[in-house]
Amino acid sequence: MNNNRLILIGLLIPAILMIPFSIISFYTDFANRNPDPLSVTVDFDQNAYNAVEGKKAFEQYQCMDCHTIVGNGAYFAPDLTTVYKRIGENDAALSNFILSGASAKGMQPMRDRGMTEDDAYRITAFLKYANMLDTNGWPGAGSWERDGNPDSTSAKKLDFFDIWQVVSGIVFINVLIFAIILAYENKKNDREA
Amino acid sequence: MSEYPSKIKTRKYFITAILLFIVQMLLGLIMSVDVLARDSSTNLPLTFDILKALHLNLMVLWLLLGFIGGLYYLLPAEAGRDIKHPRLIDIQFWSLLLIGIGIIISEIFFTGRNWWLVEGREYLEAGRFWDILLTAGLLSVVYNVIATIFESRNKLSSPILVLAAGAIGSILMYVPGEIWFDSIVAAEYFRWWVVHYWVEASFELIAAGVIALILLAMTQVRREIIEKYLAIEVALILLTGIIGQGHHYYWIGTPGIWIFLGGLFSALEPVPLFLMVWSAYKDLKENKKPIPNKVVLYMIIGATLGNFVGAGLWGFIHTLPQINFFTHGTQITSSHAHFATPGTYLLLVIGIAYLAIPEISGRLDFSHYRGKIGFWLLVIGFLNMIIALMIAGVIQVYQQRIEGLSFMSVQNTLFPYFEWRLIGGLIAFAGGLLIAYDLILISTIKVKTERNNINKEI
Repeated sequence: MNNNRLILIGLLIPAILMIPFSIISFYTDFANRNPDPLSVTVDFDQNAYNAVEGKKAFEQYQCMDCHTIVGNGAYFAPDLTTVYKRIGENDAALSNFILSGASAKGMQPMRDRGMTEDDAYRITAFLKYANMLDTNGWPGAGSWERDGNPDSTSAKKLDFFDIWQVVSGIVFINVLIFAIILAYENKKNDREA
Repeated sequence: MSEYPSKIKTRKYFITAILLFIVQMLLGLIMSVDVLARDSSTNLPLTFDILKALHLNLMVLWLLLGFIGGLYYLLPAEAGRDIKHPRLIDIQFWSLLLIGIGIIISEIFFTGRNWWLVEGREYLEAGRFWDILLTAGLLSVVYNVIATIFESRNKLSSPILVLAAGAIGSILMYVPGEIWFDSIVAAEYFRWWVVHYWVEASFELIAAGVIALILLAMTQVRREIIEKYLAIEVALILLTGIIGQGHHYYWIGTPGIWIFLGGLFSALEPVPLFLMVWSAYKDLKENKKPIPNKVVLYMIIGATLGNFVGAGLWGFIHTLPQINFFTHGTQITSSHAHFATPGTYLLLVIGIAYLAIPEISGRLDFSHYRGKIGFWLLVIGFLNMIIALMIAGVIQVYQQRIEGLSFMSVQNTLFPYFEWRLIGGLIAFAGGLLIAYDLILISTIKVKTERNNINKEI
């Protein structure tokens, strides 16, 4: 077969198939599976804050580059998909936690980053919405704080002596890597000679 | 070289790309210390999220610089004519650099303050304002490439077609990520269009095309054979990769149909990558012509192997939904990312740079010594990092997802592995520095002094 025609077929078949799959994904998102983010609200001081404003604030403060949301993001901090459930569905506690942070664990008080209380309330609404998503059962039963309190474990201090635990692993892997390098270089020299 | 004068303009693309890569590694090193000293990391002027955003965006920037430079460097010989608008090459470089500096400054000073300057979604942290400028700039690159191809004297060859398709695809796929959706599900759905269709479709096409072009330039294997393999590889990459997107849609709120589709198609994704390794191996074995530029050979072999093992196998081990349910959002993904991206695209960009810079500088007799050492240092460093993160990921999956320990206590357990990762990072950083030093040396220092150096080494 002609090369270009082969490439074109490889491109077009899956690209056309993506259309119905995308339609199904969006139909289920809006119609019957996930809540409408506009209708998910939390109330603070007789004001309602909705999840759409919350999503914008969530993006703006770059929450996703330390935390993960639906498992996507950085792995520096815990996943936020079900944090609303973990904190006992307590709006005030969650927004307060966002604003005051956890410096010992690496989370700056978001107040210091210029976050207003309104934005914290909006993000709370967004996290309430994230908790309501149907994520096919992810993240499973593990890693819950079922008592409704934030993670009580404190972060370890920097201690380079910990590394003794993995020294044998480091040695083993590096001997392996050096064996590969030597084998490659020797074989290449033989061939050239 | 004198045949196509615009080639000389691509040198700055490669030098800047490699320097940005050094900065990216430096940011990565600071972040890996952050993970080990969480309490002091909040006191840094740059917090983890800003470092991470820059770590990703600088990578995107130097990848684009390297690919655009490579495209401009390889295109004239294949098209049989010089680039249509040589002046655009300079303008595009400086505007891309300006956009990059703008992204960095707005990350540092405007995170959380202005949504138009910092959008804060992983990989798409650059705000809407920069996105629009970047899209416009990339469109002008596509225009320049297409204008050149249309006026070429030769018949359209498949490597060039594949390269152009990859370049156009990477720009087209940048747009879906820019659409605003109220729903996080829809937003994530299209954010992955950018990320996945870049690294697993468009960039993969560019990689396949560049490898084919370099093999064509360096060996005397028949053109028809290389082109046939390229076509099969590309068709398979697209066939598996486009619906293989589904492996990002398992747990983001999209329907269960993706668990079947994503699992099926992404399990097939290593096949074209293996084909790339095999065809390169076969071509190099059949080739009788001596290859003078050994460093490029190292980088190309490294890139095909890194692509197959890092992107293919390392991806395959956690792509099946039954496994991904536990490994999603753990250090295993991080291990995969630190194997696939440098393993394929970094080595490829360095490979093109080592092909282009000696030729542009008229220094084809450059010493291969530093390039080879730098390559092996990168390999050692990254493999240490990858293995450490992989073991950390397995422990994290077991403790956090199965035993149900809290996030922080698991992170404490992973400490020794994060320290191992830091050591790997330092070794890779040394390799990156050596390669950057070597490339700058080749492109600047006068021929005479280098001859003396070679004599000394002998």
